Amino acid sequence: MSQSPAPLPFIDALRDAAGVRLPGSGQAWLDTVRRENLETFLADGLPDTRTEAWKYTALRALGQRRFAQGDPDAATRAFDPRALGLPGVDGPRLVFVNGVFRADLSRLDGLPAGLTLQPLSQVLERDPEPLRFALSRRYREAGDAFARLNTALAGDGVMLRVAAGARISKPVQLCFVGVPASGDLAWHVRNVIEVGEGARLDLVEHHLHDAPHKHLGTLVTDLVLQNDAHLQHVQLQNAAEESVLIRRGSLHLGARSQAALHVLELGGGLVRHDLHAEMRGDQARLDTRGVFVLRGRQHLDTQLSIRHQALNTASESIWRGVADERARGVFRGAIVVAEGADGSDASLSNKNLLLSSLAEIDTKPELEIYADEVKAAHGATVGQLDERALFYLRSRGLPYAEARALLTAAFCRAVFTSLPNETLRDHFSEALLAHLP
Amino acid sequence: MTIESTTVDSNSSSALRDNAEVAAALGRRYEAGFVTDIEMHSLPPGLSEDIVRQLSALKDEPEWMTEWRLKAYRHWLTMPTPHWAKLNIAPIDFQAISYYASPKNKPKSLDEVDPKLLEAYDKLGVPLHERAKLAGVAVDAVFDSVSVGTTFRKELAEVGVIFCSMSEAIKEHPELVQKYLGSVVPTGDNYFAALNSAVFSDGSFVFIPKGVRCPMELSTYFRINAGHTGQFERTLIIAEDGATVSYLEGCTAPMRDENQLHAAVVELVALEKANIKYSTVQNWYPGDEEGRGGIYNFVTKRGDCRGDDSKISWTQVETGSAITWKYPSCVLRGDRSVGEFYSVALTHHRQQADTGTKMIHIGKGTKSKIVSKGISAGKSSNSYRGLVKVEKGADGARNYTQCDSLLIGKKCGAHTFPYMEVKNPSAIVEHEATTSKISDDQLFYCRARGIGEEDAVSMIVDGFCKQVFRELPMEFAVEAKKLLEISLEGAVG
Repeated sequence: MSQSPAPLPFIDALRDAAGVRLPGSGQAWLDTVRRENLETFLADGLPDTRTEAWKYTALRALGQRRFAQGDPDAATRAFDPRALGLPGVDGPRLVFVNGVFRADLSRLDGLPAGLTLQPLSQVLERDPEPLRFALSRRYREAGDAFARLNTALAGDGVMLRVAAGARISKPVQLCFVGVPASGDLAWHVRNVIEVGEGARLDLVEHHLHDAPHKHLGTLVTDLVLQNDAHLQHVQLQNAAEESVLIRRGSLHLGARSQAALHVLELGGGLVRHDLHAEMRGDQARLDTRGVFVLRGRQHLDTQLSIRHQALNTASESIWRGVADERARGVFRGAIVVAEGADGSDASLSNKNLLLSSLAEIDTKPELEIYADEVKAAHGATVGQLDERALFYLRSRGLPYAEARALLTAAFCRAVFTSLPNETLRDHFSEALLAHLP
Repeated sequence: MTIESTTVDSNSSSALRDNAEVAAALGRRYEAGFVTDIEMHSLPPGLSEDIVRQLSALKDEPEWMTEWRLKAYRHWLTMPTPHWAKLNIAPIDFQAISYYASPKNKPKSLDEVDPKLLEAYDKLGVPLHERAKLAGVAVDAVFDSVSVGTTFRKELAEVGVIFCSMSEAIKEHPELVQKYLGSVVPTGDNYFAALNSAVFSDGSFVFIPKGVRCPMELSTYFRINAGHTGQFERTLIIAEDGATVSYLEGCTAPMRDENQLHAAVVELVALEKANIKYSTVQNWYPGDEEGRGGIYNFVTKRGDCRGDDSKISWTQVETGSAITWKYPSCVLRGDRSVGEFYSVALTHHRQQADTGTKMIHIGKGTKSKIVSKGISAGKSSNSYRGLVKVEKGADGARNYTQCDSLLIGKKCGAHTFPYMEVKNPSAIVEHEATTSKISDDQLFYCRARGIGEEDAVSMIVDGFCKQVFRELPMEFAVEAKKLLEISLEGAVG
């Protein structure tokens, strides 16, 4: 054996993390879970590009950086609450600054009946037992390193429950704000969300920042939909330009439940978004729609995996990607139809625009089918704007940049047409146009 | 042959068939499964530098060739066994394989070929002798480790085409071999290519000089006969500027309980405006219903479109082998060069196939087209794995990929793993895939018109594969169609 290489600064900076007190510390089972996950993470290190799930996202540069764990001053950092406003979104709100819950910015009074909405830190301090199952989850895949890190170090997040039969009419807004600190810091957020039998929930997940910073944020979100539940989940990601944001969502769908996801990713320097959906009950339905628009040196990696494992389930996924300047966009969309999941109907479309000779798009749609009463299809393309359409617009007097932005926005629009909240839909279009170079 | 009542299809149409017909149908399951009993000369099982040297000495090879092999062998020792493919495979014991087996009486010309050998090829329907003249296809037959005869050499030599076994090429055309061997698939390219480079025993060599259109189809027939051996052949095809050639390859092996390894390397070089068409009908022994025996078919095939306006087209029909693991690829280096890949892969019982292609676009205006049809039946697993890569300089590159999978039965799997990596904004890359089963409506329609269930299935499958069969030379298309029918027998019901 060759001698072991010098530890990466990233890993090295975590050596002391084991001693840090987190909400819930002192609970034997929680301490064990956290310790084990940290030990595994430290032993395995960061995944490299030989790990299939990280094939197109190299973490070498990240490995060379040091992050302070958590922000001790998060509770007092100034932030203008007006930036949190989103048109068409006026319901309850939970706000986290650098991964820490901020009661002063949140809106938790007068919660509708049937809705439980609390910061995880409070639940962990009072009685973490109900979260034992969710927080003890094991992440075994080689590519799941950050989920293990998150499990080890997350001290805050969202605990949201909708009681059976409750219909929450106003959208619930979850805000994750990055604010500069004296140095680079890492925060870890864990969200546990459950929509009860026959219940309905509108969820808006908003990632934003107020000034440039280079923090690392990890989020692990567990979403469970009981039978007949309905979920509308909208994500607007506008993190700081040079920040690192690593998100992992898992979604379990019960019988006849329906979930619709709309994702708009604009910000971040290095962004990774994993979504693992499992259709566990018969006749469940999942629609995912997403778009990323990248420029500068942004690197964004979306990993979508949808598993059909019950009868007559359906999923439809439409994803668009735009990469300009020196950006790199990565998309993997895997559909798995398990043995016996007859009547599954799955489709996935991924189209990408490559707008610059220094940009890159890597896409990998996958089908893994183990049942025969199945309809499954996927398509993926990488191309550029239609020269003739550009010419048409310019011949009508539109400047080149404007024509290009207009066509690009039109390319992305297919993703949002199914978003029921019209005001929010318009806001998304504007945000998208504003982000185009 | 006795037939158990349970193996006879219980539907009404088969009840009409008389027993003899059923027996005949079942008997032809794997027609090529016989063993030819002839005296063999072989190296003892095992792999070491000594074996590599012995092999090289046996073949009377020049020093540079021996060194080339040893270099590959030493590199192979440092490589880990690959495990990324979606395969369920027991570790291979490379020391249990004999790396060289040849018929003892080496023929000087085709007239001296052991009659038993000719009989073997006759049984396979490969025209080695008089019949060859009628068929008009030049054949190189490789029996276990060595080439036993190449037909039509004189006719080909008249136009300057060299078509001979690799061993002969090493002796007679060392300058060509040295220049091109390993230039497309380097010795250390991958685990099985490295192994092949160290121990390859024979194969075909084709050289088409400048401006020549090869006057006939060239073909190689590979046969594994001896037990406890592997077959490691190496094929090298060079088409100089403006040359055109169509090459066919077929393979079979006897039915045995052991797994035999076939690790071949095929290299194609197309210079300016050259055109190479490479067709394969792979029918190695697939193992029995329970997955016992069968060939491990781990092959590296790569074509290099070195010259501008060159074209390489791969067509494959894969019905055999217990495990198939191969990705015929095109490196589109020359401007406006074209790569094509047409594939039908059928798996039944416990066969596993992980196959696809790689199209690497480097030159400007390069084009590639991929059409892959996967059919899974029984408890088999069939994966398409492909890469389309557009490098920075490949302005105006264009790719179209279509992968369709057909499932027959509830216990099989069909998977698609396409990778697309695009670094040029003027490139267009498109991928489409579908997975479905034979619809009940289609079947009902055929049955209502008096077509038996099995015939209906093979008709529908034939239609599903048409796009690929169209690309095959005629004789091969007929064979391929027949092969599919045989391989699918018993898949329905």
